[in-house]
Amino acid sequence: MIKEVSGFIESFDKLGYVVDEELATILFLMTDLKKPLLLEGNPGVGKTEVANILAAHLGTELIRLQCYEGLDVHSAVYEWNYQKQLLSIKIQESNQKSDIEKEKHIFGKDFLMARPLLKAISGKTKSPVLLIDEIDRADEEFEAFLLELLSVYQISIPEFGTIKAIHPPLVILTSNRTRELSDALRRRCLYHWVNYPDFEKEVKIVHKHLPDIDQKLSEQLVSVIHVLRKKGLEKSPGISETLDWALSLHALGRKELDEESFRRSLGSVLKSYADTEKIKAEGLAKLMEESNL
Amino acid sequence: MPVSYRDHANITEAILGFAEYARSHDMNVGIREAQEALRVASLGLIQDKKYFRYALKSVFCTSADNIVLFDDLFSNYWETPYEYSQSSFDIKSKINVQKPAVRSLVFIGKGGNKEAREEDASEVSGANKIEKLRKTDFSKVTDIDSAFLEKLAINLWQQMSRRLKKKLKNSTTKGIVDIRQTIRSNIGRGGTMLELKLKNKKPDRNRLVILLDVSGSMDKYSFYLLRFILALRAYFQNIEAFIFSTKLIRITEYLKSKNLEKVLAHLSAGVDNWSSGTKIGACLESFNDMYAKRSLNGRSMTIILSDGLDTGEPELLSRELSKIKRRTRKLIWLNPLKGMTGYQPLAQGMKAALPEIDVFRSAHSLDSILELEKYLAHV
Repeated sequence: MIKEVSGFIESFDKLGYVVDEELATILFLMTDLKKPLLLEGNPGVGKTEVANILAAHLGTELIRLQCYEGLDVHSAVYEWNYQKQLLSIKIQESNQKSDIEKEKHIFGKDFLMARPLLKAISGKTKSPVLLIDEIDRADEEFEAFLLELLSVYQISIPEFGTIKAIHPPLVILTSNRTRELSDALRRRCLYHWVNYPDFEKEVKIVHKHLPDIDQKLSEQLVSVIHVLRKKGLEKSPGISETLDWALSLHALGRKELDEESFRRSLGSVLKSYADTEKIKAEGLAKLMEESNL
Repeated sequence: MPVSYRDHANITEAILGFAEYARSHDMNVGIREAQEALRVASLGLIQDKKYFRYALKSVFCTSADNIVLFDDLFSNYWETPYEYSQSSFDIKSKINVQKPAVRSLVFIGKGGNKEAREEDASEVSGANKIEKLRKTDFSKVTDIDSAFLEKLAINLWQQMSRRLKKKLKNSTTKGIVDIRQTIRSNIGRGGTMLELKLKNKKPDRNRLVILLDVSGSMDKYSFYLLRFILALRAYFQNIEAFIFSTKLIRITEYLKSKNLEKVLAHLSAGVDNWSSGTKIGACLESFNDMYAKRSLNGRSMTIILSDGLDTGEPELLSRELSKIKRRTRKLIWLNPLKGMTGYQPLAQGMKAALPEIDVFRSAHSLDSILELEKYLAHV
């Protein structure tokens, strides 16, 4: 195994994240090429968590930008503190400074409120990790803006000048595929499709989060979850659902899964009325049978 | 064209050859990707084929859709023992005319002239095909073209609804003071705030109500029209959709569902069983009874997609239509048959409907639907 890649796997393991060889390889490549990484995959497969752990692994700051429809430059990049500026103008009305000095003062750093993207390129000592979460929710206009930022890592503020990153951030973008991203953005990035983990990996993840859970219980849970994922539900359970479920059964003091505890904890696995009805109609006992319990 | 690393003298050439190979199979691989592939190798990832594959995959793939293709190409190129592999990919490349082996030139975008001309020619025929397909009546599309047309249609319709969305965003005449814009625009007045700039929420999008005829006679069209509705759904939050033949079914909530195809197959199977002919009038009546009050208002637009071949009473149809007309701002009837040359609205139902309709247009081809944009812009 390549030394750097196994380094990633070990370090992530210590931080409580089970990473497979493929993702570890790509993360290593990403830190070397300094190229953004686009992660796509079903909801709840741990895309966001990758950024958290990467930041922890590199010992650097994590800056997060949650995208939503209508996200604009003012809430993503920077905003002037207008109230403070107006006050400052009033205060300075009586003093003898020249207009140019006054102007310079109110458009100074003290009045600039940095939002995530500006923060991300003004890292002083180390490259931060910038997580741009759910980019598919932002508008196309914002995507275009981001494209520019990701290629030059600099931001121009008309009143202030251009700020260029000394330590370009490591960028991770996540997308749930609710909207097709532009080809241009895709080509700027390394690409990785995050799959649901296989059986062994998911059991490992459960144990990572709940070290004192029964081996039998965790294996039962995971196999039921795997069957559920094949059912084409409206909201297929992700890893977070598995963990929620494990946690609630663990809290109930169960050592293994039976029909009664399954029924009582159904709400932590299925998050939609239609799905719950569908599974109930099929029968929990039958589902457990399918999962070889 | 070389399709295995064995055809190259050294590693660098083999990697560049792979980039070219991937590009020839429509993967989005350019100069930068090729450079990055070389970097991947120099990082030592080439020692292990597994890691080499992972790394190149992340560099070459841009979407989940081309991961499978990449895996095949990778296996073909790096894992062929001696002979060229016989997979379908290679057969395609063998049929292709041998391209001149001036790799370095190809890389800086100055490929041989011959090659360029060939590509141009294929482009033209591709463009012609698109032009033709856009005008083709949906019912006359061959099976081979239908997948292509579907893709094209979804693409164009999505672009259209994106444009529509932009139009809706403008126009802010009232709202709270936008202090940033106010300061900016008043700089010329020495900072005295004479003119206030305002900002407002995006205006509520007005409602669009669509009724789609899914009876047997509309079979060929409803498949595409449904996709049109889906494309609109991406940008119109307020969309109400119904399908009808002998019964009216509300499908608004299914539009969001992942299993739409399944749901529709199920629904239309049911519909077919009941059908003894289309009862447009009766369906509109149940629409008026159950949904009209909720979903129609002075700002809504109603679109009916139907061929007007009605087996019910024309009077009923006409009466129900006029009810809808009173509640809605604009009533549009799209009839796929109108695309046929020499079509006259002679069918009983259509004749009865005509006086109540604001706009009567055809919807038989991609282009005819795209023309709707000017009406939708005012929704």
